[in-house]
Amino acid sequence: MRRALIGLGSVVGLAGVLTACQERLTSPAECPGLCPGGEQTLFESVLAPRAGLDSSFHTYVAPGQGAALLVSSGLAVSEDRAVYRFVTLQDSIAVRDTARAYVVDSVLITLNIVARDTLVDGLKVMLFRLPPTVDSTATFESVDPQLVEANLIDTIAVPDSLHVGQITTMLRGSEVDRVAIPKGTGGVLAMGVRLTAAAPTGIRIGSLAAGNGATYVSYLTVDVPDTGSTRHQFLSRATQFNTFVTQNRPAPDPTLLTVGGDSSSRSIIRFALPPQLRDSATIIRATLELIPAHPLLGLPGDPALLDARAVLADLGAKSPITTDASFIVTDSLPQGSSDTLRLEVTRLVKLWQSSTDRPPAIFLILRPEAATFTRAAFGSTNPASPVGPPRLLITYQLPFPFEIP
Amino acid sequence: MRRVLLLVLLAGTPAAGTAQSSQFGVRGLGLPGRALSVHALSTGGAFGLFDPESSLNPAALGAFPAMTAVFSGMQDFRHVENPAGTASVRESRFPQMAVGGPLRRYPLAFGLGFSNYTSRDFTLASADTILLRDVLVPVSDTVSSRGGLSDLSVGGAYRIQEHWAVGGSFHILTGTNRVSAHRTFADTVYKPSSQNSEISFAGVGVELGLVRSFGTGFAVAAIARSDGRARIDRDSVSVSRVDLPYTFGLGLRWQVRPKLTLAGQGLFRTWSGANSDLLEQGGTGADNTIDLAFGGEFTPDARRPSRRPLRFGVRYGSLPFPLLVGEQAHELGVSIGSGIRFAQERAGIDLGLEHVWRSAGAYSERALLVSVGVTVRP
Repeated sequence: MRRALIGLGSVVGLAGVLTACQERLTSPAECPGLCPGGEQTLFESVLAPRAGLDSSFHTYVAPGQGAALLVSSGLAVSEDRAVYRFVTLQDSIAVRDTARAYVVDSVLITLNIVARDTLVDGLKVMLFRLPPTVDSTATFESVDPQLVEANLIDTIAVPDSLHVGQITTMLRGSEVDRVAIPKGTGGVLAMGVRLTAAAPTGIRIGSLAAGNGATYVSYLTVDVPDTGSTRHQFLSRATQFNTFVTQNRPAPDPTLLTVGGDSSSRSIIRFALPPQLRDSATIIRATLELIPAHPLLGLPGDPALLDARAVLADLGAKSPITTDASFIVTDSLPQGSSDTLRLEVTRLVKLWQSSTDRPPAIFLILRPEAATFTRAAFGSTNPASPVGPPRLLITYQLPFPFEIP
Repeated sequence: MRRVLLLVLLAGTPAAGTAQSSQFGVRGLGLPGRALSVHALSTGGAFGLFDPESSLNPAALGAFPAMTAVFSGMQDFRHVENPAGTASVRESRFPQMAVGGPLRRYPLAFGLGFSNYTSRDFTLASADTILLRDVLVPVSDTVSSRGGLSDLSVGGAYRIQEHWAVGGSFHILTGTNRVSAHRTFADTVYKPSSQNSEISFAGVGVELGLVRSFGTGFAVAAIARSDGRARIDRDSVSVSRVDLPYTFGLGLRWQVRPKLTLAGQGLFRTWSGANSDLLEQGGTGADNTIDLAFGGEFTPDARRPSRRPLRFGVRYGSLPFPLLVGEQAHELGVSIGSGIRFAQERAGIDLGLEHVWRSAGAYSERALLVSVGVTVRP
């Protein structure tokens, strides 16, 4: 009996050891009855940008330096043609330490489709030979007239099932003459790209900057007379330069905040955070509202991304902006929408509170820059703006009124 | 083997801060501590004014037979009911520590004490739905507090002709409340908020006490204590002051039989002095309190009173800080306990169990308090 009691006591004691260290203090409460200090009260405030200090800046990325090139056919937003110029192709190759002439048997040209409107079928990509001197000074007016039958290299039918990926054409026999580079002309091939389709549409194709620009491969036969044999080799040439040209490039409206477009515009919006918010408020939610000046233009099915980024120092157009993903808010811009755009920028506003070094400003960037058809313009504080300016909706709470005995 | 069992039980009572907490300690300075050893707690507090291991009466320090160190731990299992619902909570605390003993060749004794003065340990959870940007959004709120006021005391007693003992003590009242408020939203686009603050207290108090013995069977004890005003800082900025109470107490002890001793005591505290200060800060004020306790100790072996004594008691008290204005809370407790001494009375362990009921209007709770005290006489 005595041992049994001791054993029972040991079990009880051990259970006590295992459970007693736990602390559980949470109990239900009905505020404000039981809550010392009362309830947490939320406030909402609307901040307007500093008048006249919201601006747009342009040409951060030149056409062709972005992640894609634009080619379109009858698209409402813009009419575009792409231009590729390839790395120089030498007119001889070395075989057994001897430079020897070669004969081009066939040529493979490859392009990468990055995006398309999948609802439009019957796309045909037309390749035209351009002078090897084409460069960044090319304009739509200088390029488009050369995209005629006489300069046609080939037409590539894009399968309707192909959304993203390579399209190629192989030139053989007499077709090779369309890309033939006579000796002594520098060995440079350049070509222009245009599009036809069953309906107005556009495509985005690979670029040098993205590492997926066009390539052309020449398959060669080298005659080696000393041995009476022939050698088959190939030479691959990548894009050396590329750009796209736009018809009737619209000049950004100075009364609006413009982002994107072939001008790769960016906008800055500056706010003045009231002392009450800066010093003692806890920001619960901050929403940046942008009112489009017109329906968002772009390629259907290929939305661009709008970034709202924290500004590290306010230096106007050259303001350094954050690359920390924590302080970048991204949303897609659906083509055709004219609804007010709302971006949740709570972290950015909290950054303004926590660091006096960070100006209370937001930079708007459209991605991919200089590589999307999308062009957006939002109302500004300019009195001539056809729609209202941006605004910042802030939900916050003041310090909790802890009950002081 | 029993000693081992008791030590196991003792190990199960872990360390933490102050005394037990309660939903009735949410307002004002919190739930007042009792400054009692486990020995006195087991009798409902009835022996508190005569107990040198408690910190209620400096004159009782004269009853220390030798240098003694005492500390106690308490495990609190509580069931809470209020209009928002019910919950079972628990916590562990160290509410009382004391060191003291007589001075050789002099009728003097000194003691140091560390006891809980008030405790504000709680976490309150509530839910609501609020209208934000024209949409109803469910929210969950949590308000928490940890800490309270502690009483550091230095006291002395002087014995006069074996029948009288008078004493005095000086008290430093200090402590910190770490309070926090958290809110989360069902719609995660609203970011959770968390706010913290630290409220600290500082004050001093003085106390006088006496114990008068009438033969070996009857004794009377009395105390009077003033705790002055406490300064309150919030995040190191002085924000207010609050009046702390005067305390008056009277205790009686009667040895009915050689094996049975009964005691009773009453304490009256003028907490209403803090009423205006608390109301000024937006609180619910404060009321005077009274504590009444009655208990006894039965010793099976009168020659060895420390061998398996049975302690019992009952108490009734009012609480100073109402949850709602004008609705003072009350508590009723029954207790039982025992203890052992070993190593030639140089060490001992006391155990106490107390069941407490507290209520005020729609708010109520019941708690089981398990106390373990360790006494060492080096």
